[in-house]
Amino acid sequence: MLKVDHASVHFEADDGRIVHALDRVSLDIPDNGFVVALGASGCGKSTLLNAIAGFLPLSDGVITLNGKSVVGPGADRGVVFQKDTLLPWKNVIDNVALGLKFAGIPKLEQHRRSAELLKLVGLADFANAFPYELSGGMRQRVGIARALATEPDILLMDEPFGALDSLTREQMQELLVSVWKKTGKRVFFITHSVEEALFLGTQVIVMSPRPGRIVARFDLDFVNRFAESNDAREIKASPEFTNLREEIRALLHGAHDIRSAAE
Amino acid sequence: MSEVLHAAAVSADASRIAPKTVRMKSFGVGSKPTLLISLATAAALIALWWGITELAVVPRLFLPTPGEVLTQFNIVLREGYAGAFLGEHLSASLFRIVLAAVIAISLGIPLGLLMGLNRWAKGILDTPIEFYWPLPPLSYLPLMIIWLGIGETSKITLLVLAMFAPICLSAQAGVRSLPIERVNAARSLGASRFRLFLNIVLPTALPEILTGIRIALGVGWSTLVAAELIASNRGIGYMIMSASQFLATDVVFVGIAIIAACAFAFGAAVRLFERALVPWKGKS
Ligand SMILES: Nc1ncnc2c1ncn2[C@@H]1O[C@H](COP(=O)(O)OP(=O)(O)O)[C@@H](O)[C@H]1O
Ligand SMILES: [Mg+2]
Repeated sequence: MLKVDHASVHFEADDGRIVHALDRVSLDIPDNGFVVALGASGCGKSTLLNAIAGFLPLSDGVITLNGKSVVGPGADRGVVFQKDTLLPWKNVIDNVALGLKFAGIPKLEQHRRSAELLKLVGLADFANAFPYELSGGMRQRVGIARALATEPDILLMDEPFGALDSLTREQMQELLVSVWKKTGKRVFFITHSVEEALFLGTQVIVMSPRPGRIVARFDLDFVNRFAESNDAREIKASPEFTNLREEIRALLHGAHDIRSAAE
Repeated sequence: MSEVLHAAAVSADASRIAPKTVRMKSFGVGSKPTLLISLATAAALIALWWGITELAVVPRLFLPTPGEVLTQFNIVLREGYAGAFLGEHLSASLFRIVLAAVIAISLGIPLGLLMGLNRWAKGILDTPIEFYWPLPPLSYLPLMIIWLGIGETSKITLLVLAMFAPICLSAQAGVRSLPIERVNAARSLGASRFRLFLNIVLPTALPEILTGIRIALGVGWSTLVAAELIASNRGIGYMIMSASQFLATDVVFVGIAIIAACAFAFGAAVRLFERALVPWKGKS
């Protein structure tokens, strides 16, 4: 279980004003949970993820993973970034193996495990390619395989498909669901696409900015339904899905309107 | 209204004739090849040189013919010049620049990386480097000679100083070019500080470092030749200086050509290194 308990993060902006990027946010991510944080940009999604990853200390509150308090980054939390962070001087398989190399695992074993992960993300044929030879979607798949290699307890993904075209994006969503089902990892996923959030999450938290807060939570089942039926278009076109999508859109716009009215 | 058109049948037919390819007009030079233009220019310049000497516009003493320079090159190659064989002049120059480059690289890279990583190192080393780096090396050559004598030490120290700064500054810039996401990604994969430095920081800085080395070698050659003109009894620069005192313009030309060839060869070697070590440069 990953537990975020009354976490607050305050930044000092360049002009000296205090930004309340995160204000007493609490969140549980259960085993096998796929939690999606949804919200317009600036509402503290990345701040929350960076705090869980250990890149950012909290101003207040605690984050625990399996009862242990999070104090810094570690291989028990795999991170996938929006901007691909593959090393351009290493080929695909060595990029995937990076965490294993840091763990001191022998080269042969590194490659055996990395090859398995590449198969999982559908890139078995690209083990020896270099990142600059791959498309954006393929690079993100390598990023996912790399984050999984150290067998983390949770996968943290900050708008991983944000820079992809919509077609590739949908393929990646489906791939991620299959990876999630096969590995049984917890996932914490950030997006500002309502549709993506609804399709992927077992739980969606909707956030609003200034101060960054969770304003709504939804427990969902679309992703499990997709895992059974394998028909994404049917699910996304179902009245249940579209109704909820419009409801959340209204919620997001409402939160936005309230904020701009206050300013 | 919404018809689905089957265009595949049409294109199958078109594939029999070679298709006419088009390209977006680029702005500036872009990737258009310039080699042929450069070669033609070189040929034209040599023809111009030959023409001027043939027509005797300028006295032979000031501008020898291409043929004379070639003949003189053979003579210098066989008999040497100014008290030493050509090989001795050349190896004296190469020894100085290679030794100085090795020292400058092995000091400049670690200190530059340190300056990119540590506030104290940057604060302390910035002061002397920013002070001496803009100075023309020849302005402190007299000081080197007073302190270290007229021998090899003063010339090599001068060269090391001239080459150190660009390498050190580029290593620093290489560290600064490191995106924080790359560091965070490595740390979340369990990288220790040492691993982070060895496997992330160093390779990230490598392209910049190689650029710095190329700049340093350019600075190195000009400093070397100038230093040899002033204080030396061996070396290509010294050979040119002696020749000029006897108005042996053809030997001066031979010396200049040798320096040009060496500097070009060094530059090409670094570029080969770049291609082998940083094949991803400019591609991601
Ligand atoms: N390092 C920082 N210094 C100052 N303010 C920051 C910093 N990082 C983020 N912020 C501010 O905190 C708020 C939340 O940012 P972020 O978590 O990146 O939002 P999101 O990921 O939802 O777009 C924004 O208003 C942003 O300007
Ligand atoms: Mg963000």
